[in-house]
Amino acid sequence: MRLEELDCDGALTDAITEMHGDSRAEFLRKTAIGSGALLGALAAPPLAAAKVDEVAILNYGLGFEYLQSTFYTEAERVGTIARMGKRKAAWARTLGAHERAHVAILEKVLGADAVRKPSFNFGGVTETEGGFTQTAVAMEDLTVALLTGQLPRVRTPALVAAFFSLLTVEARHAAWARRIAGVRPVGPALDEPKTLGQVDRVIRSTRFISSLLPRTRARRSPRFTG
Amino acid sequence: MAALLRHFRPNVVGDGVTGISDDEDESAMPRGRFVGNTVLAGAAVLLGGAAGVVTVESAAGALFPRQDRRILRFLLQLEYLQAEFYSAASARGRLRGELREFAEVVGAHEREHVALLEKRLGKSALPKPTFDFGDATDNASRFARTARRLEETGVAAYIGQGANLTPRSIVSVSAITAVEARHAAWIADFLGHRPAPLAADKARTTKQVLAAIRRTGFLR
Repeated sequence: MRLEELDCDGALTDAITEMHGDSRAEFLRKTAIGSGALLGALAAPPLAAAKVDEVAILNYGLGFEYLQSTFYTEAERVGTIARMGKRKAAWARTLGAHERAHVAILEKVLGADAVRKPSFNFGGVTETEGGFTQTAVAMEDLTVALLTGQLPRVRTPALVAAFFSLLTVEARHAAWARRIAGVRPVGPALDEPKTLGQVDRVIRSTRFISSLLPRTRARRSPRFTG
Repeated sequence: MAALLRHFRPNVVGDGVTGISDDEDESAMPRGRFVGNTVLAGAAVLLGGAAGVVTVESAAGALFPRQDRRILRFLLQLEYLQAEFYSAASARGRLRGELREFAEVVGAHEREHVALLEKRLGKSALPKPTFDFGDATDNASRFARTARRLEETGVAAYIGQGANLTPRSIVSVSAITAVEARHAAWIADFLGHRPAPLAADKARTTKQVLAAIRRTGFLR
């Protein structure tokens, strides 16, 4: 796949738009779901008690947080955030700091079980303020959807508590991002959950994860491990 | 980061409120007034996992864990408070522009949350209290500050109780919780406060939430 073939600008938006069946203009007005809550804030080593599928959930969250933290970090690195107005830059930097904090916590919690950080290629979306903002809104909403979808699957109480604590932060991010973008911070009364499969399809269609293997003819998809 | 980890203690299973039996018969409570002190305090006694889960019949006939009932009753009271506040503010008619939109949109959300929790609880739902909002809806400034207080209290309450719920209730509650956090971020940003002050939000116990609600002076 050549770089020229990638339609990175608005790729995430289009992917979600396709999923929701809305016009591009409508997309930003609807509440989407969020993604990537990192677990953190677990003082004890809780994973000894956690079940195997909870490790998988945590690792999916970690992968998602790698995606988000790299996105914000790269936008900072290429100067996009520095070119923003003060208020917007503060927003972008805070979200980046939070996502990096989430990565650090989750890596610590998972220890040797943590997935390796994937390679990312964001194309042009970290280089323009508009592309960055639109993608940030979409990503934060997708994070919320991921978390609301995963929360009922977690059984260890400490992990459930941590998930709630992170869900609200990602939801704050999502609302804040929308207000920054000039759209209503909220959508419907209930944030809609998405399954791992649904979230995964959105992320794959963005092609942001350059180290993901292409789909094979195998009946089961490769796991999201980066 | 270490400070964050230390601060977050997932000690949300049980508030340490003792002295109120799990077998307390709520039907003995007077209806028609907000017996917040006793009823909510009663709802604050949560079954720890060690005690086992006792199920009760809800109006819908589905088995409904008692721990869920207590928590959802408590959360419903908070949603009543928020819903009534926004209804009162909209009716008062002193808001314009974005705050007016906030009151209408968020109020509609809270009313939907009320409906969802009432439906989940069925006959187990406790009566809607009577509130007196005083001058909190007098002007934009008072409204916005009060809204922020209520939303932040709600978010902390949901985080505090979420882990004590059974997975079936978590499906509904997580969807509500995310939207409450959006509300909080919206009004914080409007007021020029940080919409997302922490990398991981704090939990509050029912005791703490009750105290915060009492401090508003809205309970009659």
